[in-house]
Amino acid sequence: MIRLDAPRPVRFCDGLTRRDFLYAGAVPALGLTLAEVQSATADAPKPDADVNCIFIFLVGGPSQLDTFDPKPDAPAEVRGPFSPIDTKAPGVRVTEIFPKLAAHADKFSLVRSMYHTATAVHDTGHQMMQTGRLFSGGVEHPHMGSVLGYLKGGRGELPAHVLLPRPIGRTGGNLPHGHTAGYLGKPHDPFILNADPSTPNFKVPDLLPPEYLTPQRADRRQKLRDAVDGGLTAFEKSDAAKQMDDNFALAYKLMSSEKARAAFDLSKEPDKVRERYGKTRFGQSCLMARRLIEAGVRFVTVNMFETVFDEVTWDIHGSRPFTDITEMAKQVAPNFDQGLSTLLDDLSQRGLLKTTMVVATGEFGRTPKINPAGGRDHHPGVWSLLMGGGPLKGGTVVGESDEHAYAPKTRPLTTGEFAATVYRGLGIDYHKELPGPQGRPIPITDYGVKAIEELF
Amino acid sequence: MFRATALLVMLTAAAAPAGELAVFPPAITLTGPKASQQVLVVEVASGRTVADHAAAKFTSSDPKVAVVNEAGVVTPTGNGKATITAAANGKTATAAVTVAAFDKPAVWSFNRHVQPTLTRTGCNSGACHGALAGKGGFKLSLRGYDPDADHFALTRQAAGRRTDTAEPAASLVLMKATRKLSHGGGSRFDADSDHYALLRDWIAAGAPGPDSAEPTLSKIEAFPPAALLKPKDTLRVVVRATYSDGTAADVTRWARFTSTEETVAAVSEDGQVTVAAPGETAVAVVFGTRVATATVTVPHPNAVDPEVFADSPKHNLIDEHVLRKLRLLNLPPSPPCTDAEFVRRAYLDACGVLPKPDEVAAFVSDTAADKRAKLADKLLSKPEFVDYWAHRWSDLLLVSTRKLSQQSMLGFYRKVRSAVADNEPWDRFARDVLTASGSTLSNGGGNYFVLHKDVTDLVESTAVTFLGTSITCCRCHNHPLEKWTQDQYWGLANLFSRVGIKNGDRAGEQYVFGQPTGDALHPRKGVAMPPTPLDGKPLTADSADRREYFVQWLTAPDNPYFARAIVNRIWKNYMGRGLVEAEDDLRDTNPPTNRELLDALAAEFVKAKFDTRHLMRMILTSAAYQRSANPVPGNEADDRFYSRYLLRRLSAEVILDAYSDVTGTPTPFETIAVGASGGTAKSALYPTGTRAVQLPDSLLVSQFLDSFGRAERGLTCSCEVTKDASVTQALHLNNGQTLNDKLRGEKSIVGRWLKADTPNPAVVEELFETALGRGPTKQERQKFLKPLAEASKLGPQARREALEDAVWAVLTSKEFLFNH
Repeated sequence: MIRLDAPRPVRFCDGLTRRDFLYAGAVPALGLTLAEVQSATADAPKPDADVNCIFIFLVGGPSQLDTFDPKPDAPAEVRGPFSPIDTKAPGVRVTEIFPKLAAHADKFSLVRSMYHTATAVHDTGHQMMQTGRLFSGGVEHPHMGSVLGYLKGGRGELPAHVLLPRPIGRTGGNLPHGHTAGYLGKPHDPFILNADPSTPNFKVPDLLPPEYLTPQRADRRQKLRDAVDGGLTAFEKSDAAKQMDDNFALAYKLMSSEKARAAFDLSKEPDKVRERYGKTRFGQSCLMARRLIEAGVRFVTVNMFETVFDEVTWDIHGSRPFTDITEMAKQVAPNFDQGLSTLLDDLSQRGLLKTTMVVATGEFGRTPKINPAGGRDHHPGVWSLLMGGGPLKGGTVVGESDEHAYAPKTRPLTTGEFAATVYRGLGIDYHKELPGPQGRPIPITDYGVKAIEELF
Repeated sequence: MFRATALLVMLTAAAAPAGELAVFPPAITLTGPKASQQVLVVEVASGRTVADHAAAKFTSSDPKVAVVNEAGVVTPTGNGKATITAAANGKTATAAVTVAAFDKPAVWSFNRHVQPTLTRTGCNSGACHGALAGKGGFKLSLRGYDPDADHFALTRQAAGRRTDTAEPAASLVLMKATRKLSHGGGSRFDADSDHYALLRDWIAAGAPGPDSAEPTLSKIEAFPPAALLKPKDTLRVVVRATYSDGTAADVTRWARFTSTEETVAAVSEDGQVTVAAPGETAVAVVFGTRVATATVTVPHPNAVDPEVFADSPKHNLIDEHVLRKLRLLNLPPSPPCTDAEFVRRAYLDACGVLPKPDEVAAFVSDTAADKRAKLADKLLSKPEFVDYWAHRWSDLLLVSTRKLSQQSMLGFYRKVRSAVADNEPWDRFARDVLTASGSTLSNGGGNYFVLHKDVTDLVESTAVTFLGTSITCCRCHNHPLEKWTQDQYWGLANLFSRVGIKNGDRAGEQYVFGQPTGDALHPRKGVAMPPTPLDGKPLTADSADRREYFVQWLTAPDNPYFARAIVNRIWKNYMGRGLVEAEDDLRDTNPPTNRELLDALAAEFVKAKFDTRHLMRMILTSAAYQRSANPVPGNEADDRFYSRYLLRRLSAEVILDAYSDVTGTPTPFETIAVGASGGTAKSALYPTGTRAVQLPDSLLVSQFLDSFGRAERGLTCSCEVTKDASVTQALHLNNGQTLNDKLRGEKSIVGRWLKADTPNPAVVEELFETALGRGPTKQERQKFLKPLAEASKLGPQARREALEDAVWAVLTSKEFLFNH
């Protein structure tokens, strides 16, 4: 939530005040766009088109060679078992495990030269891909969706940033994963679904009243709450008290508003649509992401997996408890192929793709050489990601990896540059400073980092 | 009855009090032919400037010594003394001018002039060349903390093209800054500006480097120091620097100005103040590594009978200072709160619990004149007081299994808790923690060093915890807004460089010990700075444990930070807003809203031998604390001068415990977070009935505490706890399990009413008295009884639901969730 009642400006190292930030965030509500109040810099984004984002995290780290960066000419122990196929985008090829996505390749572009240099554990990549930075010195950076929510606030009755279905849990590194608002504070954390939308009697915890709380009771509670009035006039002059009431009103609206309830209610979708997305946790999360964007949510994060240990994921080490390349192609790829291609198609048909970026990425790539267990291990040296929609071009490829997909060959791109690209697409000046811990101003992405302009 | 309300009238035109004409600075020294001084002509009343006469007429007594132009800029013409006379409003005032070294050639100095120019024009700011990696291949130190490196970058790098001594105007720095060449940073100054001329002349003189023999900056002063103005008034601020050789110079054109309350008055980059609204602000001035402030006070346009202030109750020194401030600002104080309000408020603020209905009744019916003071004494000796403050100080010291073993965490908590229980003086407590040695299990304070193993973390956390200030900026560069330098930081760090930690014999045990050797090296200079406590004296004879020396400095009665830091924290707990906000952001450029009060309280606290309960008793018994939360006409807008009790939301733990108390259903704490990435485990350490405020650890899983904002105890910062309201909180109260489960439990207050067949009217009375410390009003009674009666007709289940809803409504009301 944007607070308009900041008690006083807080100084930051560069003489900016917390109020400056608040103004920047608050102005859109007054009818100006963010871009209009941002200082003109060389990288100033285009005027805010109110772009949304669906960020799909391919937890585990898909193998670049087996997905978006096939190397048919590499030796067998590198190229893997899958053949490349043509896609709807001329000259862009992916492996055969994504037949459905191939048919929608005009709707997205590929980046084949992502890399990072941090420790090759899942957690570091999770931080870097969701916030643009590796955490250090106890500073937890905010998720991109939380920055968006911080700067622009929510639309109508819905939260600005929703995380589906659950935050990433244990992935071995014992580090934070970067899904929170970090130093921006809890009010900017995403609204977390915390449930599996593919379960038969799926309900959002805390969002919808428990069964025993009938609409009549909920209404009676609000009326009785309003009736408590001991005549303290102090509350009339208190912004904090007003905000409390506003939040109760908003919560009540959320739980009682047909629109908000409906956004989270997948049973409103025809069975045919639910089937198209795939009746899996991921498929139904993609469907819910579309419903939420439609209803006004600005940023939806979809975690394809919650952990790499108890599920079959992209983390294809080959040895137990992990899966291998073949099983990944059988169990993981079709789920993803179906969910994402349906999402792209559906957004496009509903005219939402123009205003909604869709991003799908893992936290790193995999080692080119297949290991004795028939799997591939962690490899942050290079990986591929997919992004399209909103102001982004479709059907192109940025960057290439070397002949064994071991390292970027051209256009090596960092996680900071990726984040800058998302921010640029969202219409945010990514060099703007945010109020960091202990008053230290922190630019959204480091100075000098630039968005991947070829994608626009 | 309270009389301010009737007497308040809006003033149509606030008449400025007539004052004496004065010239600032009162004495002017001009050293060298290039010196100049802007003088201000102002009207001063009771020590505060009340008007700025920008159009005053100036004359010099001796134009052969100094001349003054129409704008009031004095420049030298020859060595000697002269008098500048200013005339305005039919009055005159004078200032003495002394000119020296006029006959000596003057060259702009790198340290005194060039670096300040680069700072003032933004060249070496964090967004430009002062960034860690520089900009466009040109790197300067942030705000000029490293003159040697900067001089090298300016004169040697880029093939010397940045400064061209043969053809100064062709220097890259001048071409770029005036955009004769393309410049990513845009235009920084014009070719006809003073900044340009200074840099050009310096380059023409051979671009001389930093001179270590040059006098150093001793202090800066802002004129006028204090002003009493009204909206739309303007005021110029001039800044004078004094150097180690005693010379002074006008540095206004290089100083940076900021206003701490821009809603009260804004200040331009040239030091021009424009008043916007009533209140008080400090215009903070930074030049080099020194800071100064000018206070601008803008009274509210209320006419308050002076008797209102004279008659307002004064219980102790707090009230003298608060009322003096309110009077200056024309803010009428609210009347005292009722006894029922006081007893609820004081229980919550001192002990974090609601008073029980019989405790409220006993207090309200007590006829003793000193019953509020007696209640304060009673509260300060309650076991709940120990729970509450042990929890607060555990938040401050980061007691948690986040980084500590369970045994160590419990050892640390025991130390904190016993300090509260024994009312250990704050200086003793600080000493115990900061000099702790030995086993972290038996001497829990030592865990402080286990938590902050890295010396930078240790120094920075110690500054925030015990000095209420952040020096983190200085780890890498001089503080851009404060006087602290990188050298001082590393001098302080070197006092903590000899703490060793090793594993003990028992599980989870570690040993903290002093080591005879080891230095923390200044990262830029690569040497150890003399171990020195901030602005204290360096440690001369090295002792076995340098921490001892730090603690001596820290807890000395004249340490200007130690007492103020804890006084401000405690004040905020009771008064809702720190005298300095944020509560751990004490620094010269962020002055207290009532400096005299903070000074007096800190002095009293030291005199009382750092007794925190003594301070708390003073606050609880002050009339300022006992004011009504309701505004009176004229003080509605005040949120910082304590004209009324400030509303505040209760903390997450206090609300949760109050829910347990009122509903009669304790909160289970059975699951604990393990590791940073979301794992959990069962914990059997905290039996049923353990209150949230009694938890020694911050990792017990609680959706309620997370959503209402608890301290995670990961970082020493008051910013860890947010009391911001969020929709998630409202959703959780509406639909989540915490409160609903408490209501639905068979043993809950609702179950008890049903079992005892308590009639609806008695239910409503008990509910209001238990939760709000008061009976229902007539209207409330009606509004609650109607749905209860209707539901009761429909059967026991319907009645049960209606009762649950009634309790829910009261427990989620603002009146319940806020202290008032």
